[in-house]
Amino acid sequence: MRTHFSRPAFFEGARDVAPMLIGIVPFGIVCGIGAITAGASPIAALAMSMIMFSGAAQIIAVQLLAAGAPFAVILLSCLVVSLRLVMYSAAMAPYLRPLDHRWRALLSFVLTDQAFAGTLQRFQRSDDLRANASYFLGSGALLWVIWQLATIAGILAGQVIPASWQLEFVVPLCFIAVLVPLLRDRVSILVFTVAAIAVIALDAMPLRLSMVCGGLLGIAAGILGDKMAGKRG
Amino acid sequence: MGKELTIWLLILAVGALTYTARLSFIALFARREMPPLLARALKHVPVAMVTAIVVPAVVFATPGELRLDPGNAKLIAALVAGAVAWWRQSAVLTIAIGMAVLWSLRYVVG
Repeated sequence: MRTHFSRPAFFEGARDVAPMLIGIVPFGIVCGIGAITAGASPIAALAMSMIMFSGAAQIIAVQLLAAGAPFAVILLSCLVVSLRLVMYSAAMAPYLRPLDHRWRALLSFVLTDQAFAGTLQRFQRSDDLRANASYFLGSGALLWVIWQLATIAGILAGQVIPASWQLEFVVPLCFIAVLVPLLRDRVSILVFTVAAIAVIALDAMPLRLSMVCGGLLGIAAGILGDKMAGKRG
Repeated sequence: MGKELTIWLLILAVGALTYTARLSFIALFARREMPPLLARALKHVPVAMVTAIVVPAVVFATPGELRLDPGNAKLIAALVAGAVAWWRQSAVLTIAIGMAVLWSLRYVVG
């Protein structure tokens, strides 16, 4: 374990990821607020950030909890949004293969959108595995700590601000902030349209399955849309 | 099952899920390539899932009651927030303006 640790590279990783912290803080706050307004205790709300450590999975879990979705449906939705982590795992795997299993287990835990985006380039550029692994760990560790602090800020806000302010609406607004900038091409607009119509049309489905089905129909429309766009072009 | 217990079980289950996803290619099936259909589907997951989750939170006033009219304060706030997100890609600004619109419609306008 120790043989792979390089202190300068660890701090370099933490330093390089610092500009991304501004971007994750609002989402951490929203996760804290969302968990509290969905009925979680402060300890559970913090445990959610410490253990799940995934803004997408957490925000979706709290929104579905608030909407009264059953356990299995929440789990299924979190599975779909976590598939992106599988893609990062596949992209990082060739570089991490020479590390021992403890390092791989540790680095996997801190693999996030930001750590992936900030670290992949370094792995592609440099062959110094020891420094690269420590660099990755430094980025991931700082992201984890800041994520917890942002969540705590959200938990406090969620407890102090009265329910009549409808603070739970920050969760859908946060989704909108993520969603709208993605709608820049025709296939994405098709995916949005199909998912939106499907989730409204299927609203009568039991167990809030409309959300999972609407999402899956949107994904299917996207795959078909890509195929048709490919044939035309 | 009590709500608190449900939430704790959810934390553990989703925690195991996200960790397994992260670990997947790094440790579990380290020698395999990702199936191409999965890679093609992944590209559309963010738009599709976020849409499916955000739309019901905005268009239904109460469960089952579809409200696509200007009287639905959440719909108007969401549309304004969407416009902000389109022109200025800032999560903070989107959330702040969305909440401001919601509060104005609820308490100032009526």
